[in-house]
Amino acid sequence: MTPDYMEQGMLLAIVLFCLGFVGLMIRRNVIFMLLSIEIMLNAAGLAFIVSGARWANADGQVMFIFILAMTAAEVSVGLALALKIFQKYKTLDSDAINRMKG
Amino acid sequence: MSSEDFRSLLPLLILAAASILLLVVIAVRRDHRLVYYLTVAALAAALAASLIPVEYSPRTASPLLVIDGFSLFYSALLNAAGLIVVVLSYTYLRPLREQMEEYYVLILLAVLGSVILAASRHFASFFLGLELLSVSLYTLVGYMVRSRDRSMEAGLKYLILAAAAAAFLLFGMALVFYEAGQLGFSGIGKYLAEAEALSLLIITGFGLIIIGIGFKLALAPFHMWAADVYEGAPAPVSALVATVSKGGVVAVLLRFYSEVDGYQFPVLALLFSIFAAASMLGGNLLALLQDNVKRILGYSSIAHLGYLIVAFLSGGAMAAGAATFYLVAYFITILVAFGVVAHLSSGEQEAEKLEDYRSLFWRRPGTAVVFTAALLSLAGIPLTAGFIGKFYIAAAGAQEGLWVLLFILAASSVIGLYYYLRIIMAMFASAKDPAQRIAPLFSGVGLLLVILTVALVWLGVFPQAMLDMINEWVAG
Amino acid sequence: MEEDMIQNEIYWPLVAYAGIVLLVIGAIVVLSYLLGERHDDKATGEVFESGILPTGSARLQFSSHFYLIAMFFVIFDLETAFIVAWAIGYEEAGWPGFIGALIFVGILLVVLVYEWSTGALDYGPQGQKIIKALQKRRKQQKI
Repeated sequence: MTPDYMEQGMLLAIVLFCLGFVGLMIRRNVIFMLLSIEIMLNAAGLAFIVSGARWANADGQVMFIFILAMTAAEVSVGLALALKIFQKYKTLDSDAINRMKG
Repeated sequence: MSSEDFRSLLPLLILAAASILLLVVIAVRRDHRLVYYLTVAALAAALAASLIPVEYSPRTASPLLVIDGFSLFYSALLNAAGLIVVVLSYTYLRPLREQMEEYYVLILLAVLGSVILAASRHFASFFLGLELLSVSLYTLVGYMVRSRDRSMEAGLKYLILAAAAAAFLLFGMALVFYEAGQLGFSGIGKYLAEAEALSLLIITGFGLIIIGIGFKLALAPFHMWAADVYEGAPAPVSALVATVSKGGVVAVLLRFYSEVDGYQFPVLALLFSIFAAASMLGGNLLALLQDNVKRILGYSSIAHLGYLIVAFLSGGAMAAGAATFYLVAYFITILVAFGVVAHLSSGEQEAEKLEDYRSLFWRRPGTAVVFTAALLSLAGIPLTAGFIGKFYIAAAGAQEGLWVLLFILAASSVIGLYYYLRIIMAMFASAKDPAQRIAPLFSGVGLLLVILTVALVWLGVFPQAMLDMINEWVAG
Repeated sequence: MEEDMIQNEIYWPLVAYAGIVLLVIGAIVVLSYLLGERHDDKATGEVFESGILPTGSARLQFSSHFYLIAMFFVIFDLETAFIVAWAIGYEEAGWPGFIGALIFVGILLVVLVYEWSTGALDYGPQGQKIIKALQKRRKQQKI
């Protein structure tokens, strides 16, 4: 592959990352916030794959598998907490859950 | 792998094996006391394994990890902090109706994560250590779901912000990898040294990595989670967040920066200066508004990490030594402070309001004196470890001429004095109904707190032994 | 220019395929519109033969055990990624790789045992509890 494709791949990763970040900022539902973080992490994974392909280096793919594993762990804990919070407050709106201030 | 490799990796192996073993033990029989003793034994063994001088010459155990004096020192420090947190946790957890066996597994994993951080020399191990640490921590922060609602809220907040920070960090790593084609710290350093001009991507990459680290250290523009987490988490877990997670990240930051020679970039130095100044001022000013002791300690930890960044920024020969000494002093002090909070908390009610500490001296003189010592050390009063730590930071900063930062450090320390003194005044205020309850201090936790306080004062009066050790292990 | 030619040659099957796809779909839609019967009887809008009539909204509350199982699936599913990665490089990884994979699978086994013993894998009504309750009730009825 020629470097042009690498730049396009990187551009896609950057756009995805920004989309995820904007989603995290504007969404108030906890599940959607977790989803946005997932998009950001996957963008980072894509960037690693593209960089690995650029240098013909398998390290990029290794990092991607690590990211997958970490994401699964994080989402499991996140969903478990979201479930508990929903049972308690009957809402997943992060503004309604936010009781500690100052 | 040779047997020397195995021996040098022993602290990591002990922690990993112990956490697996604990899962088996829990599967067979749930016994809080047994799990507690096993955890203490594992942490003590890992501590001993890091102190036994294996080989002082740096040993590259794998492409990912390096075991040298620096990582062994941090490993010992982190294991000791973990051990103290576990001892504090046991008496804190006993009256609660929770399933607390898994708590100890998570603590072991958190300590393992930050020891990996201290030994890492590669982005992969950096990331793995950090995530092992964070996933355990947000589970621990949200651990008390049954008895405390705030614990749940704090856990979720920490999770979302820490995961977002991890995403920033990873994207930064990917950008650096894209440009440099290397994931090892030394490889990146070599690339930077040879490159004539650095592209925008790699500078952005470094910026994102620093943002990720700033989140983890709760430096000022990224500090918003700190106070909530410190308040919501159970007191021993707050101590863990304040010590083990910060220590590992500081270690990896020091190593990464020195290997890639980050001091050559004025942009990054400026970024860190802004973080440090904002943390020192922001942390101390926000703490003034609080009535909750745990929140005050949270904001003060933001300020303290700001002081630490000043030492780190000085970048001269003294930087690593001064930062490490400050970290040791801060570890001891904050452990005493949260230890007192945990000690005074009974069952499901945490002693966190300033009111709970009013005229504590007349009820529990010993505890009040210990807490006073810790607060004075946090404020940086002479004859305590905190003072010596700050003194070395000032010396390191003055050597490099960071006058603006040093001025902010001094000014914000004076502001800080006010809220520390407020707690102390409250403790010594005369009691309305004297001698309500005189509980003996000499429980196990009490003894531990006294020992830590003695260490605090001893470091403040005779710092030379610790300094020599740090110079030999860390800087050498 | 030559490179462009080569790329055009590589791309034409893709373009042709896309064209065929659009053509077929268009033909299906247009032809069924032209040839199809049109009528509006009582049951026209309902699910026909292959379905069950919907009853109420799909937004039900599920037992949290379903979420637990979904999480286990996500986690254990990912472990295959690691094992497949090792299996691909089996020859190159040699004995150290084998030992590493063995430790990895061993840890998975410990986690499975842990999950089993903590009761995380028990879901649905528990047979033994029902039988015990029945026996208790019978005893009470006898008395």
